[in-house]
Amino acid sequence: MPLWIEVILRSILLITILFFLTKWLGKKQLSQMNSFEFISGFVLASIAAIHSIDIRLPLIYGILAMFTWFFIPFVLKQLALKNKTVRDFIQGKSTVLIQNGKIMEDNLKKESYSTDDLLENLREKNIFHVADVEFALLEPFGRLSVLPKKENQPLTAKHAGITVAPMKEPQTVIMDGKMLLEPLANLSLNPDWLSTELEKMNVAIENVFLGQVDHDGQLTIDLYDDQLVVPESTEKELLLATIKKCQADLELFALATNNEHSKQVYSSNSKKLDKAIEVVTPYLK
Amino acid sequence: MTVGSQVKTVLASLKNIEATLDILSQKTQDSEAKQVYQQTSQIIHEVKTDMHAQVQILQNEEPQYDT
Repeated sequence: MPLWIEVILRSILLITILFFLTKWLGKKQLSQMNSFEFISGFVLASIAAIHSIDIRLPLIYGILAMFTWFFIPFVLKQLALKNKTVRDFIQGKSTVLIQNGKIMEDNLKKESYSTDDLLENLREKNIFHVADVEFALLEPFGRLSVLPKKENQPLTAKHAGITVAPMKEPQTVIMDGKMLLEPLANLSLNPDWLSTELEKMNVAIENVFLGQVDHDGQLTIDLYDDQLVVPESTEKELLLATIKKCQADLELFALATNNEHSKQVYSSNSKKLDKAIEVVTPYLK
Repeated sequence: MTVGSQVKTVLASLKNIEATLDILSQKTQDSEAKQVYQQTSQIIHEVKTDMHAQVQILQNEEPQYDT
């Protein structure tokens, strides 16, 4: 067998093995790996590389070495999943760097983390002033997690006391001009509904790059041709405006009429509508 | 516009609102939102009933405008 064919065959075999081994090792991101996992991954790759080029080495040794380098980290990972002590030993523990707004200098030294490192990582979290931090933790994989003081946390609807409607994830129903049936079925909608909605917007499905349906069944689309303007769905805004108009009209009638009974009917109903507006507004925005 | 026709316009708008709310409550995936839409639709229905009665009264008062 010519040497070059052997190199190709070896490479193909080793690529296949490497592919499955890395798949079995799990889908942890590179940034989430600890140094041991990182290095064993590199060693795996190097073994594969060496054995695919160096045809003097028997292939079986390479495969054996790869499986060993795969097996030990794999077993350790499984043990770590089951047992907290093993996990702390293998993956390391997190270190508190800032507590109650005070920097823990001893812990900084222990992790050989310089003040500049700390400031740099805080800046990455958009914090330029150490005094804004309540608590900061150095994770085992080297990332810094920061809890800002309460007054420096971003304002949420909860802080502002605003009622907001719950939200479900939108479903993507059109991709690259093609209808996706499964997400449609998840929303208990059918292709007919989609074609009707597209017809209402006056676009053909081939022109749609991406189409999503939100939890209230409103379709939003992006077209290939960015010059075309897509009509935005205004159903909900219109509804809210109409309710408000009715409420205002009733109030007006109540003021205009001289009949005591009518006045009472108008004003009580206007109050009812007012309450309805209050309840439904978060859902229609 | 007479008062009668103004009230009739509001009645028509209320019918529209009720129908739209019913459609929304059918379409939404969220049970809480569904409940709110139905609840609102119920209130609108009550208002609608009152306004309907009011239209009847006004028609009796202003028969000359009733066509």
